[in-house]
Amino acid sequence: MTAPTDTKPNGPVAAAFAAAGVGSIVLGIFVVLNEVSEDLSRFLRFDDSFGLGSGVGPLSGKVTLAVIAYVVSWAILHAALRGKEVNFRAWFIASLALVGAGFLLTFPPVFRIFAS
Amino acid sequence: MELTERELYTVLHGLVLGTLFLLAFGGGLAGLYSLRERYLTPEGLRERTPRLLLGTSVMAVVAWLTVLTGTFIAYPWYRATPPEGTNLEDPAALVDYPRYLLLAQEKTAGWHEFAMEWKEHVAWIAPMLATAVAFAVLYYGIQLARRGDVRNAAIVFFVLAFAAAGVAGLFGAFITKAAPVM
Repeated sequence: MTAPTDTKPNGPVAAAFAAAGVGSIVLGIFVVLNEVSEDLSRFLRFDDSFGLGSGVGPLSGKVTLAVIAYVVSWAILHAALRGKEVNFRAWFIASLALVGAGFLLTFPPVFRIFAS
Repeated sequence: MELTERELYTVLHGLVLGTLFLLAFGGGLAGLYSLRERYLTPEGLRERTPRLLLGTSVMAVVAWLTVLTGTFIAYPWYRATPPEGTNLEDPAALVDYPRYLLLAQEKTAGWHEFAMEWKEHVAWIAPMLATAVAFAVLYYGIQLARRGDVRNAAIVFFVLAFAAAGVAGLFGAFITKAAPVM
């Protein structure tokens, strides 16, 4: 694809938007996994395992892993899309779907469906 | 008339950072919406773009600061465990343990089981969305006026970031009223 006018290619911005979607869905997935089993919930207690935020509990693991997924996916996507003009509409819709799923999975009536 | 250290901190977390977030959102949204070539002269675009970058960047930074301080400083105070032997059905014994105070009574349990459980998670979506918007403004600068697709997408993400932070902020205020961190 070519840029509609003499502007920079949109790949890096598509990468930033998609990474936010990845971070959101990963957060939602770990919120659900925390409900699925006590072993997974224990794993997510990064405050106990790594001293990350004393007393925070499983939330420490959920948000740390979501932020890592966000940063790593942004770096990978940025490298892959740098200098490229992509179908921004498609990338944005995909990003929006990921963000929407993230919102949904963090909603208590939804994630409690998976509670063990 | 005094505030404890924890109350002062919750004011900083909720009121100071929250107010900054609201201001940055209002300015950023207006700036994004009106950043169109047909609305502005070239001089107007050049004058407005740095302000838009400032607004969106402040919103992103404030969103990160709010979730980091909320999760790693205030949240442990909220979920502190009462000493063994404490009667978990006696609200008077639980004033220093907000989570347990809310759960002690049926009429307040929902503030933890629904409001806090949603707030503590959904808030983290806001900074990721706000950062994507700030990056788009940083990357394109004045050229954003000619990229309607990116600008519209940025507006959607910006509003969603505000919605996520709004849920967290609103519930935070209600929870603090029902069971303040002392």
